Amino acid sequence: MPQQSFKKSNLRLSLLFLGSVLILGLISTTYSQSNLPKFSPPVLITSAGQSAEVQLATVIAKRAGVDATLVKMATPDNLGENKTLILVLGASLKGLGAAGLDMNEEINRVKTLLAACESRNIPIICLHLGGQSRRGELSDKIINLFLPQADLALVVRSGNQDELFTKICQTNNIPLILLDRPSQAVVNFKEIFQLNSPLP
Amino acid sequence: MILLKAMKKLFLIGLSLYLSLTPLSGHNQSPADRHQPHDFQASKAMVVAAHPLAVKAGVEILRQGGNAIDAAIATAAALNAAEPFASGIGGGGFMVIYLAQEKKVTVINFRERAPAAAQPTMFHLAGRLQPKWRRTHGLAVAVPGALAGWNYALQKYGTLSLQKVFQPAIKIAETGFPVSSTFSSINKDEYDKLLEMDGENSCYLNQGFPFEPGDLFRNPALAKTLRLVAKKGIKFFYKGELAQKIVQAVQKKGGIMTLEDLASYQPLEVKPLRGTYKDYEIWTIPLPGSGGLHIIQLLSIFENLPLKKWGYLSPNYIHYFAEALRFIFADRARYLGDPEFIKIPVAQLISKKYAQKLIAKINPKKVAESYPSTDFSPPRHSNETTGNTTHLCVVDEQGNIVSLTQSINHFFGSGIVPEGTGFLLNNHMDDFSRNPNSPNAPGSRRHPLSSMGPLILFHQGKPFLVLGSPGGTRIFSSLTQIILNIVEFGLGLDEAIEAPRFFSYSLKGEVRPLFVEKRIPASVLDKLQQMGHKISLRQAYDKYFGGAQGILILPAGQGLRGGADSRRDGFGGGY
Repeated sequence: MPQQSFKKSNLRLSLLFLGSVLILGLISTTYSQSNLPKFSPPVLITSAGQSAEVQLATVIAKRAGVDATLVKMATPDNLGENKTLILVLGASLKGLGAAGLDMNEEINRVKTLLAACESRNIPIICLHLGGQSRRGELSDKIINLFLPQADLALVVRSGNQDELFTKICQTNNIPLILLDRPSQAVVNFKEIFQLNSPLP
Repeated sequence: MILLKAMKKLFLIGLSLYLSLTPLSGHNQSPADRHQPHDFQASKAMVVAAHPLAVKAGVEILRQGGNAIDAAIATAAALNAAEPFASGIGGGGFMVIYLAQEKKVTVINFRERAPAAAQPTMFHLAGRLQPKWRRTHGLAVAVPGALAGWNYALQKYGTLSLQKVFQPAIKIAETGFPVSSTFSSINKDEYDKLLEMDGENSCYLNQGFPFEPGDLFRNPALAKTLRLVAKKGIKFFYKGELAQKIVQAVQKKGGIMTLEDLASYQPLEVKPLRGTYKDYEIWTIPLPGSGGLHIIQLLSIFENLPLKKWGYLSPNYIHYFAEALRFIFADRARYLGDPEFIKIPVAQLISKKYAQKLIAKINPKKVAESYPSTDFSPPRHSNETTGNTTHLCVVDEQGNIVSLTQSINHFFGSGIVPEGTGFLLNNHMDDFSRNPNSPNAPGSRRHPLSSMGPLILFHQGKPFLVLGSPGGTRIFSSLTQIILNIVEFGLGLDEAIEAPRFFSYSLKGEVRPLFVEKRIPASVLDKLQQMGHKISLRQAYDKYFGGAQGILILPAGQGLRGGADSRRDGFGGGY
């Protein structure tokens, strides 16, 4: 019998702990979403570093109902009538190889694109969705170069263990949303693009 | 309700973690730093493979009285469930078997074959090569050989049934396991392909998104498939309902595979390829697995060079290695293909005399201006291969050994999953040359050239080292480095596996960069640059160079040591 009550109290404690964690999680998510800047579609999605996460951003946009076009190696010509640029940060040697680019060419392409965005007043949302495995020398170079130009950053938390994103965003006054997993960005996209329900 | 679901998920993840981390013997826990060299230990029998659950499957079968062949097939099937992105029943491979009682080495070739309708220009449209058709398309899929090969090995050399050895794999697929960072990062890298070929509902995606580290991955469809194959036999795959699903999936994506292609697939038992290095003997696979041939070539070259004097990771050693590889690649492009269909000067290529000729071509001070192939017969043209694969080794109590490499080619293969089956089809047609005039051009029922090189190294007549690796064309370079690290530079097995790697090749006679893990000291790289090497830095522990597994058999009953590569999720266990 004492053993049974021990188990019960353990279960109660576990439930209490889990409940608290969930409630705290909800509170922090709500807080982080409260004063976010708003953006307008249509959106051009492109990569900085040719990692596969650019495709993730496209699926997130689709599920949120955001009118978006993916051009992995976008140039200023692709900006067209788009009102927002989503830049997916993360270098992949495999992706760069497949695109036939080296890092310098990729950096120059993105620099030119961001300069065009600035001259046309197109806001930039930076995403880093690859987590810890998409950090490292090449990715960090891209993050340091381009993140300071963002108007908003959405970052998968495991990629921010050293707080690189937090530091850059604080220094440059960029709102930062930390995500536990990429799919959570669907909710954020709905809010920042002011959409109530996804497209059919 | 949400809380209960969350608790259930936490419990399942915890259970899977517990199952995957339960030590297989007192000496087999991995170090906290996954890259820290660690030799797994066992006294009688051992399994090493690219996932802890696959190792557990093999050890379980050994403990139930199965022999090395039974355990190898159990491990191979378990890898389909636990490391599905690298190999499985939709792919193929090679195994080297050593039968202790008979002191006999044999090889089973279960490499995929091209469909009967394959022909040299099948990847060309209006005279232009369509690279995508070779990798992410129905045309990329070759006829799978894994099940036929496993079944052949079990029936001829095993003691247990397919039904028995499949049980651990079925359990893994059904129960699931927490995804590792390796699985997650590869899943993210191949997300594009999976979306395109299998859609957002793919069983290899988590509600349309890649799996994150720690997510529970279950594959009930694969469990059902394996259970049906175990019950109905491999004819269910090659001639039954599964065959229809495979052909349907391949043809829907533009492929040419037919029911007849599947029905006529047969594995081959072939004579192993043998070479020597000082007082070591290398027993490995023959063509169309080219890894063994190139390992023998490389070792024959280094037999004549003062490696110990030059030193481990010295500029001279790396320079000679890179240059040797570049000359070897020139011959590879010109001569190698499927020996069932073309004549290949294997004896000349692996001769000691030819090794001397290759050494004479290497300038000790600088990179060559070009890398012409050697004239053994009329000239042919170039090819290119890449690939991501898996390797496992088993030693049983009787001393029987299996060294098995298997693959679906690129990670997540072609990305095609036949409806409701839970397994991926390979894209090994990409291992054929792009050049229609190459000896390795696609052709009816040909085996594409492979870089695999599972091997058993003998010392003074006794098995000494069981070794193999994935890694595409880096396989034979990495395996040779590991062997030399052990026998010349005195490193322990896992130390030799974890050591920094390098690789180079030539293409159409022209030098390609020297790819190196960035742990190689800058002073060494500076000297190599002075010799004319263009250095391409890779990650400190890069999957590009493979994920080797090995078992060292110590003399006089001193037991076994296992080495498993931390570039992937390598693990070892035994008793």
